[in-house]
Amino acid sequence: MTEIQPTQFCTIVPPHVLDRLARSQDPALSAPARRTLEADAVQRTRRQLTAVAAPVPAPEATADVDAGADAEGAPECPQRTVHDCRNGTDLPGVVVRAEGDEPVGDATVNRVYSGLGATFELLLKEYGRSSLDGTGLPLNASVHFGDRYGNAFWDGEQMVFGDGDGEIFLDFSIPVDVIAHELAHGLTQHTANLSYYGQPGALNESVSDVMGSLVKQYTLGQSADEADWLIGAGLLAPRVTGVALRSMKAPGTAYDDDVLGRDPQPATMQDYVRTGRDNGGVHINSGIPNHAFYLFATRLGGKAWERAGQVWFDVLTGGELAVDADFARFARLTVSAAAARYGEGAEHEAVVKAWAQVGVETA
Amino acid sequence: MRIQVRRTGGFGGIERFAELDTADRADADELQELARQVLAKGHRTPPVGVPDGFSYQITVEGETVYATDPRLSEKESRLVSVVLKEGAKQT
Repeated sequence: MTEIQPTQFCTIVPPHVLDRLARSQDPALSAPARRTLEADAVQRTRRQLTAVAAPVPAPEATADVDAGADAEGAPECPQRTVHDCRNGTDLPGVVVRAEGDEPVGDATVNRVYSGLGATFELLLKEYGRSSLDGTGLPLNASVHFGDRYGNAFWDGEQMVFGDGDGEIFLDFSIPVDVIAHELAHGLTQHTANLSYYGQPGALNESVSDVMGSLVKQYTLGQSADEADWLIGAGLLAPRVTGVALRSMKAPGTAYDDDVLGRDPQPATMQDYVRTGRDNGGVHINSGIPNHAFYLFATRLGGKAWERAGQVWFDVLTGGELAVDADFARFARLTVSAAAARYGEGAEHEAVVKAWAQVGVETA
Repeated sequence: MRIQVRRTGGFGGIERFAELDTADRADADELQELARQVLAKGHRTPPVGVPDGFSYQITVEGETVYATDPRLSEKESRLVSVVLKEGAKQT
């Protein structure tokens, strides 16, 4: 985790600890804790008032790009709830840990709770966005879905995690990038709402991998050079020959296994895979924009979520990315976004070169 | 009765295919009845799925129905589970 700053008490420190800190003799400890407690109380009151005044409308699955970054009064604390399906398939299951609750005995629940917090924190602190919809959308997750279910998905409203079969896949809550990947599907749904087929679908997948990797790097405090750029490291059972499910650094090299087959991801347009399966290869061709992001971030150096991540975030939430955007359209928007935010300098040059290296035209 | 299941998509995008012939099995009657019910009530075209959800193609004696996570019926879920776990696999 990153160093604890006063304003992020709410995402990490449970209320009873804040209470103790607020009573501390040391003003460096007591002042921020007291502010957080007061802010929390105000927000709780506001939420209650809102709830009494009118039911909160269900979030629409369309772009709401204006609702985002600096919406007045948008909550600065996550509202997390983790449910347990107890190996059934009825969603969401029973609540096992709600916001502010102590850790429970189930490590899966605690990992998901922390992963949701880390993703919320990155969005808020680095990109100024309160949750997935920009207005503090509560984050819901369900764990232990199904019987040895080897998958995780976003159902349009919440994340769902299976335990894995233990033979090929372990618990899908293990890698924080998988948790953040699923949440990012919610972010995409509330912003560009990229369709889930073909190139826009592969962009949808890639944006989730980018956010997944960024949250992992953010929690580990890693620079672009230090990061492993793997998606799903720690998810494969020991008998599987592989390191992860995808590699943004070297697409196509994450695994090569008798049972699992070989990682089919291309790194460049030259190896683009045309298929009708997997929604037109959304988990396959995402290797191309994934690799472009990796090239962009490592060329810039430093923390990938800062400049490279900001450019991607700007494109996703900027309102110009069409639901049916192809790679070239997305790439051109990243070039404009880099120039708009940082001028015609290193960032602009790095993003143009990154797309050129994977064979996507930006001119 | 020959039952085939092709599962695509999922977080890993890894495809699975398996098939079994009920003739070889002690629970043949039960499985055939289950397959007939799945066929009778199944979608004839692939329903819209969710990001990272699995999609299933269930073929019984050449006739195909489709299903997607997380909205499988209990019967679809049971049939898919038996075929993928106990059927002959092929990738």
